[in-house]
Amino acid sequence: MKKLNIHNLKAKEIKKLHTWLRALIQILYFLFLPSVYTAAFAGVKYIFTQIGAGEVIGLTSFVTVLIVLCAYTILFGRFFCGFACAFGSLGDGIHAFYIWCFKKKKKKPVLLSEKITEKLSYLKYLVLTVIAVLCFAGIYGKAKGTSPWDVFSMLHAGNFHLQGYLPGVILLLLIIVGGMCLEERFFCRNLCPMGAVFSLLPVLPFFALHRDRENCIKGCSGCTKKCPSGIGLPEDGSLKVEGDCFQCQKCIDTCPKKHIHTGIKGLKGNEFWFTILRAILLLVIMIWAGV
Amino acid sequence: MKEFIVRLFSLLAIVGVLFGYNEVLDVRAKDEEIAKLNAQLEVQSSGASSDSESGSDSGDGAGYKDGTYTGEADGFGGTVAVEVTVKDGKIEAVEVTSAEKEDSAYLAMAEDIIPKIIEAQSAEVDTISGATFSSTGIKNAAEQALEQAVK
Repeated sequence: MKKLNIHNLKAKEIKKLHTWLRALIQILYFLFLPSVYTAAFAGVKYIFTQIGAGEVIGLTSFVTVLIVLCAYTILFGRFFCGFACAFGSLGDGIHAFYIWCFKKKKKKPVLLSEKITEKLSYLKYLVLTVIAVLCFAGIYGKAKGTSPWDVFSMLHAGNFHLQGYLPGVILLLLIIVGGMCLEERFFCRNLCPMGAVFSLLPVLPFFALHRDRENCIKGCSGCTKKCPSGIGLPEDGSLKVEGDCFQCQKCIDTCPKKHIHTGIKGLKGNEFWFTILRAILLLVIMIWAGV
Repeated sequence: MKEFIVRLFSLLAIVGVLFGYNEVLDVRAKDEEIAKLNAQLEVQSSGASSDSESGSDSGDGAGYKDGTYTGEADGFGGTVAVEVTVKDGKIEAVEVTSAEKEDSAYLAMAEDIIPKIIEAQSAEVDTISGATFSSTGIKNAAEQALEQAVK
C-alpha cells in the first residue's frame, strides 16, 4: 500500500480529505451519540420549568450536559453543531442528497436566497422564547407530540409508535422538505432553539475563525458565499463573535489566498489532528457527563 | 470587543440569577423546616403528646406480599425491565435491571421516578418531564411487577 503523504497533496485533494473526515465524524456521532442535542436542550427546558413551578434547580444529567456543552462551545466555538449534532448531520445529509439529485439531472438546484434566509435566521430566538415561556407557564408538557425532535429521536431509536405525534411528524417533514433541502443547515441557522442559546454565548477568540481581510483579492467574497450562514468573518485580532458559525470549516479551504485561520497564530483550524482532537475531547466529556 | 463583553456579562448575570434563585429557595426551605420543628416542640412541651404520630400506617392499604418481583414495559427505544423488592409489606427498592435501548442521560433522569414510587408506595405517580418515555417505562414496569405482589 502506498503511504499517503498529506504534505504533498494538492489543495483540491486536501479539501476532499477534510470533507470526508468531517463526514466520517458526523456519521459516527450520528450513529452512536444521537441524543446530545435533545439532552442539552432538555436542560434548558428543565430550568425554565423548575423556575415556573418555584422548585429548586438541581444538577440533573440534562443540566450537566447543557453546562458541559456550553463550556465546550465557549472554548472551541460551535464545533458540536458542525461535527456532532445528529440533527445538523441529518440536515447535511439531506441537503447533500438534494444537491446530488439535481446534479444527476443536470439542473440547477432550487435554493433559498440569502436575502430571505438572513431574515429567517432570527426565527430561532422566537422558537427559544416560545418554548421557554411554555415551560415557565407549565404547559409545555401538554404540547406533547408537537416536537419534531421527539419524532426524529423516536425514529432514530427504532420506535415507530407514532400515534399522537402527528403535529411533530408534519413539522419534521416540513423542515426536511421545505428547509433542509432548500438551504444548507436550514434548521440550525433558522429554527434550532439550542443553536439560539449557543449563538449568544461569549465564544472565546482563540479557536474562532478570522480572516486577514487586508490582503484579500478585491471584491472576493468566496468565504461568505460558501458559508451556510452567509457570514463575513471578522478581521484578525477582533473579539467579534460570529454566533451563527457552525465550524463547518468550508471557508478555510475555499479561500484562494488561504487567509482564514483561528485566533491562534499558525493554526488554521481544520488541521486533521486538531479536528480529531476536538472530536475525541467532545466524546470524552460527553461520556463523562453521562450521555 | 464590546460585543464579547456584553455577552460575557449577560452569561454571568444569568448564572448568578440561577444561583441566587436556588439560594433563596434553599433559605425558604430551611425557614419552613425550622418553623415546623418549633411547632412540634411547642406541641410536645404543652403536653399534648401521644397523638403526634398521626396514623403512621398509611401504607397499610397497599400491603404487598414480601418478595422480589419483575416487570417489563415499553420505554423510549425498547423494553425497560425493573425489579421491585417488597419487604414487610412495603416497597423497599425499585431497580432498573435492563434498559438497553434507553439513552443513558435520559435514563438517569427517568430514575428520579423511583424515589417517588417508593414514597407513594405505588406506581401511580407522575412521570418525569423531559424524560417522559423512559420514566413511563419504569412506571409501567413497576406497575406490572406490583400486580404480582398484591395480596
